[in-house]
Amino acid sequence: MLSVGMFVGLWEVSGQLGAGTLASVLPPPSKFLRGVIESDFKIGLGSQAASVWESVLATFLRVFAGMTVAFVAAILTGALLSLSRVATWSLSPLLHLLAPIAPIAWIPTAIVVFGISNLTAIFIVFMGVYFILTLATLAEIRRVPPEFSIVAGNLGATPLQRWIFVVLPAVLPGVFALLRSNFLAAWMAVLVAEMVGLRDGLGAIIMMGRNLFNNELILFGMLVIGVSGFAVDKVLGLIAKRMLWWRI
Amino acid sequence: MLAPSRLAPLAFRVERLTVDYERGTSPLQDLDLEIRAGEITCILGESGCGKTTLLKTLGGFLIGRDTGGVLFQGRYLAAPTSDVVMIFQENNLFPWLNVRANVGFGLRFQLGSRKQQRQAVDRILDLVGLDHAASKYPHQLSGGMRQRVAIARALVTEPQVLLLDEPFSALDISLRRRMHALMQSLWEQTRKTMVMVTHNVEEAIQLGHRVIVLGGSPARVLIDKNCNFTAIKDRYGPEFLSLQREIEDMIYEGADEE
Repeated sequence: MLSVGMFVGLWEVSGQLGAGTLASVLPPPSKFLRGVIESDFKIGLGSQAASVWESVLATFLRVFAGMTVAFVAAILTGALLSLSRVATWSLSPLLHLLAPIAPIAWIPTAIVVFGISNLTAIFIVFMGVYFILTLATLAEIRRVPPEFSIVAGNLGATPLQRWIFVVLPAVLPGVFALLRSNFLAAWMAVLVAEMVGLRDGLGAIIMMGRNLFNNELILFGMLVIGVSGFAVDKVLGLIAKRMLWWRI
Repeated sequence: MLAPSRLAPLAFRVERLTVDYERGTSPLQDLDLEIRAGEITCILGESGCGKTTLLKTLGGFLIGRDTGGVLFQGRYLAAPTSDVVMIFQENNLFPWLNVRANVGFGLRFQLGSRKQQRQAVDRILDLVGLDHAASKYPHQLSGGMRQRVAIARALVTEPQVLLLDEPFSALDISLRRRMHALMQSLWEQTRKTMVMVTHNVEEAIQLGHRVIVLGGSPARVLIDKNCNFTAIKDRYGPEFLSLQREIEDMIYEGADEE
């Protein structure tokens, strides 16, 4: 808190003191915030202007949809791979091959396949976290104490029940922790997608600022991105602490 | 303590049991053993002599890696069964479930109404003295309490046999003695067959109706003693001490051969 306050204070002071180019490229908070408040948090030209909250919402929906789909898919893939040796042999080289492809690299293909739509963004987020989460799920499954499975089977659980009632809850916290640490990758992927392709969302604000030579808009966009990313991380942390608190 | 009859029916008959592990080691080769129903049988032996392996075969957990056979109540054991429940030294409890849910875990795969299941869980928690801790989670419990929950969970599904793999090794002496008293009273109330693997000679003589010492490589039965008479239960009495010495000598001799 203190460090953020000092940073903003320094920035403000240097913006007020320094004249000319620097202040226009890096307008101090008081200046760019005033500009945005005066326009009622609406961004854009004339009738196209839309509230900044719409952009935040658009980006959030994309990130969350992509992460949710990837989370569920990764757990299911992990389950499949852990249950079937054939599936492991045939799929795991593919996983290791696809995992290092940066999500940003998928943007051109995604735009061609899905067009300029939410689907593109969701797909890119998915690609950004799915593979790493699948590998994490497999690692977590290997970490489950062998006693758990024996105990459950001993008490009458079928293999499927063992998976649902024991393995799944045992791996969820670990996989979710990795989802949280990969949130930043997903977040960046969506922002880049919004900058280069999609016409709305937080990334698009920055691009609009660039196209209009509007440094205040760019800085405001950066501020919103920083604050929202921070907020999402806190929410994910809260979920981890309240709902997935146990450790195996 | 009432003595089970010498003619008590067999719970297990182990016939020429051989277990092969993947790295070519065979902790057990051609082992023969009988375990009577309704008794507490304690199995002693130095580390790595195959005690735990034997326990796992009794539970049917090594099916496919063993040859020879284990007969449970006269029939070859083909798979783990809920009639024979195993309790481990640790990692028994699911950390995401509270005590009540952990104890009731096995019941959800059985018939019976929610209400009946709840009553069964309450009854068994009362029996092990944990009714006050029903809504706690495993990480909030002491090691002794965790093992009591594990025992409660094993008993609630009403199995015929409990297999205990060094269940009290991680506990300190006073806690362990209290657990012994609990096991004794549980046995008196339920008359279950119990097979317990332990490192602790004192524990084995104190709790066991019968004490078996395994040793050698491959393992064979070195000592097989009936401990089911009042005199031997006196911790400082001559019978107790002489058996304790005999067993300890045997285990250390076995270790010297290596």
